[in-house]
Amino acid sequence: MPILKDFRYHAPVGVDEALALLHKSKKPLLLGGGTFVLNTLKKTAAYPTDVIGLRKIASLHGIRDAAKEVTIGSMTTLAEVASSPVVGEHFASLAGAAACVATTPLRHMATIGGNVASRFFWVDLPSVLMALGAKVAWAGDKAKKTLSVEDFLSLTGPEARGIVTEVLLPKSGLTGVYFRHTQTMEVDLPLVAMAFAARRQAGGVKDVRCIVNTTLSRPVRLTGVASYFETKKVTEWKADEAADVLRRDLEQGKLDDYRLHCLCADLESLIDKFKKA
Amino acid sequence: MKTVTLDVNGKVFCLDVPDGELLIETLRDRLGFLGTKYSCLEGDCGVCTVLADGKNVLSCLMLTVEAEGRKITTIEGLGQKDLHPIQQAFIDEGAVQCGFCTPGMILASKSLLDAHPSPTQDEVVHALDGNLCRCTGYVRIVNAVLSAARKMKKTP
Repeated sequence: MPILKDFRYHAPVGVDEALALLHKSKKPLLLGGGTFVLNTLKKTAAYPTDVIGLRKIASLHGIRDAAKEVTIGSMTTLAEVASSPVVGEHFASLAGAAACVATTPLRHMATIGGNVASRFFWVDLPSVLMALGAKVAWAGDKAKKTLSVEDFLSLTGPEARGIVTEVLLPKSGLTGVYFRHTQTMEVDLPLVAMAFAARRQAGGVKDVRCIVNTTLSRPVRLTGVASYFETKKVTEWKADEAADVLRRDLEQGKLDDYRLHCLCADLESLIDKFKKA
Repeated sequence: MKTVTLDVNGKVFCLDVPDGELLIETLRDRLGFLGTKYSCLEGDCGVCTVLADGKNVLSCLMLTVEAEGRKITTIEGLGQKDLHPIQQAFIDEGAVQCGFCTPGMILASKSLLDAHPSPTQDEVVHALDGNLCRCTGYVRIVNAVLSAARKMKKTP
């Protein structure tokens, strides 16, 4: 007996062709790397009539390095992101985060676009991309837009119907760090994670972005923590003070003690790292 | 149904397959490459590993129609005359017990060694993170990969 029920598979070679298929199909489903989608199809009752594979759209593949930004095509695999010299040079925290997602064969298949577009709470990259100020180029039914990752993640319903075409990363000279705590499972998924990025300046930092992936909700921006780090010199940073601010930032999230403990430990490591640098 | 042309182990197959057929089904049930195993079917265990253009991927998470245009290698594609050095190293190091995970382990090792001929122990462990073994405890498998790397370096 076949593992998947049948559907019509389409392999468009252009984004507009894919959008037209998305528009005219009764119950369409976009297929990127397949690691989420095909697994879901093995378990779902809401079956698609049409699966639109994005693999043959050449413009969605590859990493392009320009003067002010790096553009990553949405079908670029996580392994390609992790091993890219350009990403490693300008966005080391993103390369590091991509390298620790799931497992090696899954990284050879899963794509950066799928990681963002899935909107699953537990995926790694959205929080890192938010910290780095990345934008998502998105082609919808009616318009093509470039959105912040936060705005993209908040799209819902018919408004969210479209194709992520690129992830755009500004070369803003930020120092990024990614901390990740996992559960012991066959495939390591984050239990809680923190992405941090800031620009170093004499004695301190500015443009601080501290994003927590609670894995229970969309990534949460810690504005209090960012402000704490921005308003003090690095030598004045104290782990217990920063932890108090973090708890206040996350009061609404009702995080359990273990996740909070992990995040406080991350802040301590972060402070150590900046003080030693 | 779609007509697909698949390159498996250097041979070209022209097949009519349902749009929703997974590569593992085609390889095992149509083409008889039984070294590719069914198990979790969720991408967790790695026993369905094949190489697609030299990279280890999971055939339970790939549609056959999406494998068209890629060079697919199954365990049967290695060592078609003599054992591949990685296969020999698995035997020499006692890295095989029940053998169910072995094809996937060997293909994942080949993907690693083709890209990084002299990996460290940590790199081997990282590269095999998608392949589960419930018999050997991994130590002998890692030793086998390191041993194969040394031998392959000596005999290019």
